[in-house]
Amino acid sequence: MKGSLESGSRLLLLLVVSNLLLCQGVVSTPVCPNGPGNCQVSLRDLFDRAVMVSHYIHDLSSEMFNEFDKRYAQGKGFITMALNSCHTSSLPTPEDKEQAQQTHHEVLMSLILGLLRSWNDPLYHLVTEVRGMKGAPDAILSRAIEIEEENKRLLEGMEMIFGQVIPGAKETEPYPVWSGLPSLQTKDEDARYSAFYNLLHCLRRDSSKIDTYLKLLNCRIIYNNNC
Amino acid sequence: GTENPASEVETGQSPPEKPKLVKCRSPGKETFTCWWEPGADGGLPTNYTLTYHKEGETLIHECPDYKTGGPNSCYFSKKHTSIWKMYVITVNAINQMGISSSDPLYVDVTYIVEPEPPANLTLELKHPEDRKPYLWIKWSPPTMTDVKSGWFIIQYEIRLKPEKATDWETHFTPKQTQLKIFNLYPGQKYLVQIRCKPDHGYWSEWSPESSIQIPNDFPVKDTSMWIFVAILSAVICLIMVWAVALKGYSMVTCILPPVPGPKIKGFDVHLLEKGKSEELLRALESQDFPPTSDCEDLLMEFIEVDDCEDQQLMPRPSKEHTEQGVKPMHLDLDSDSGRGSCDSPSLLSEKCDEPQAHPSKFHTPEGPEKLENPETNLTCLQAPQSTSGEGKIPYFLANGPKSSTWPFPQPPSLYSPRYSYHNIADVCELALGMAGTTATSLDQTDQHALKASKTIETGREGKATKQRESEGCSSKPDQDTVWPRPQDKTPLISAKPLEYVEIHKVSQDGVLALFPKQNEKFGAPEASKEYSKVSRVTDSNILVLVPDPQAQNLTLLEEPAKKAPPALP
Repeated sequence: MKGSLESGSRLLLLLVVSNLLLCQGVVSTPVCPNGPGNCQVSLRDLFDRAVMVSHYIHDLSSEMFNEFDKRYAQGKGFITMALNSCHTSSLPTPEDKEQAQQTHHEVLMSLILGLLRSWNDPLYHLVTEVRGMKGAPDAILSRAIEIEEENKRLLEGMEMIFGQVIPGAKETEPYPVWSGLPSLQTKDEDARYSAFYNLLHCLRRDSSKIDTYLKLLNCRIIYNNNC
Repeated sequence: GTENPASEVETGQSPPEKPKLVKCRSPGKETFTCWWEPGADGGLPTNYTLTYHKEGETLIHECPDYKTGGPNSCYFSKKHTSIWKMYVITVNAINQMGISSSDPLYVDVTYIVEPEPPANLTLELKHPEDRKPYLWIKWSPPTMTDVKSGWFIIQYEIRLKPEKATDWETHFTPKQTQLKIFNLYPGQKYLVQIRCKPDHGYWSEWSPESSIQIPNDFPVKDTSMWIFVAILSAVICLIMVWAVALKGYSMVTCILPPVPGPKIKGFDVHLLEKGKSEELLRALESQDFPPTSDCEDLLMEFIEVDDCEDQQLMPRPSKEHTEQGVKPMHLDLDSDSGRGSCDSPSLLSEKCDEPQAHPSKFHTPEGPEKLENPETNLTCLQAPQSTSGEGKIPYFLANGPKSSTWPFPQPPSLYSPRYSYHNIADVCELALGMAGTTATSLDQTDQHALKASKTIETGREGKATKQRESEGCSSKPDQDTVWPRPQDKTPLISAKPLEYVEIHKVSQDGVLALFPKQNEKFGAPEASKEYSKVSRVTDSNILVLVPDPQAQNLTLLEEPAKKAPPALP
């Protein structure tokens, strides 16, 4: 009995090992190809991940904006006040496909980084202020919290990508600073909701920009314009 | 809009009704088109214009192309299209009577993306040699979408069904432009449709239906599938056989648990089979037989003290002493029928060899008999601070090469059941447990554990014992440097005549209360006086017991009072 158990275990081990050997044919990008001292995730993986996160953030932003619009902005005409209200409008971002394709990937990447950085602070305050909103629906609050976290993650990833694509580049671009906190905290309810509307509208837009630029860069750099 | 009642009445004409912008759509995020709905034209030919201005600009533009998008539309070409910018669009209806403007529509091209359906849908039946036949569906991305550069990200959805069926079979593909369908029913005509969606935007319309007829002789299955099935079942059978071989018995018992047979403790079937009834009975015997429930009877047992020269009382010869401290205590039932050892427990000892003894506590007993047994290795232990504070009653454990035949009845009512019957070594163990270094493991009753300046030498048979006690009475006393050397073998000689001592009772704390046996010598002894307090121990290892007035009341007795008579062989 014991002997057959041992031989059975050996057989199983043999099966497992042979399975592993056969599966070696599957290509998988190494996580640390340059050794443990210099761990670098491959650029393809970084881009894949970044694109996923940026896509997710834009989805969340759109949903959050639609929720807010449905609940607080019906018939209020907030949209008219939202024109030219984004704090990031000073960044020279390309505004159609041709412009984007003519922008060098360095510039595009620093634009992405600038956008991500300039949203750190507003997202933080957005979470805080949404919490204090009257009857703050969980649909909005939970998405705000999620977006704040994902933004940080994307920023990290982008910095890694930047470091790999443009090694040695010093990156001291200033980014636009948001100063809309007072309007988020104003007593006038309509004014406050209008401020929220603007912020969410700008967030939706900027997340779309980041997502589009990243997907463009991904196809350009990783797939050589052959997606 | 404005209305002029006067002119309306005259001519039945009026300015046009306000038009309404219906929707704007961008097929590829590069251009977009807006459509409007005209209102009533007021009876006059009405022209429609579309004007707009962009976010951040003040300049108002007019629609660059009214034609491409069809009637009542405005097409914005690439040149005129900006992404991430709000367009404020208005449609104006103009006729002779006046102008009506629609409500402005705020449009951001990013959010109005709706592609065309995929193009070039082709269906093909494929019949490879060694593999299953399938339907190969191919298509290409819709027009006006730039997928290659990554500007437009797209996903597809295909649906198909036999012509007569009601439910569609849908397949979703993220970006590839072909699909293979297996498991088709021969002789059926299949309809296929496809649509697509951008990463952020609206689904396109379904493409027009494509159809394909599956020929009747279309082979649905092929041999390779059956080969695969056969191999898989063979592998599964092998695995099951292997599992059964390994765990056959346990599996069978799991499925068909065996009927439990009768179990008699100690009953060895094999012995019965061999016909060795004697061994069988002996095996039965060893299982705690006889039971200890009738210990109460033993309370009244008398202790016989004999002339210690009688070697019969020494269960083991001197070979026991070779092992220091290890002294198996063989308590033979036969030899233990109430016969005490040489040192009568009721006799006072002359001197306590325990330095911790409190001489002040001792006083000369009144006429109890003394037994001298200088050879007995008596260790005098003193109880530590007893909770009652009534004074210390030394705890004596007689030890030595002679095993004590002091029967230690232990009725469950008085003693905790941890002591086994007949086992005098338990007493020793208890003392050791108290005295030894494992004092911390003692329970309530043993609180009055003793600090032994000298450890007790003891030994016991390899009988099952309680853990606590075995700690004290370890069979390796040689490890303990405090263990005294065994004294010389002492022949059991008593100088004085020995008397019987009656164990009156055993208290809850394990205190033995002894009565001197009523006999003629005493005359009229104090009938109800029980001797449960040890006065002192003589240097010849004799216990000196005194009556303990407090011991009269059993329940009040809180003394540690675990007494054992000096070991008498």
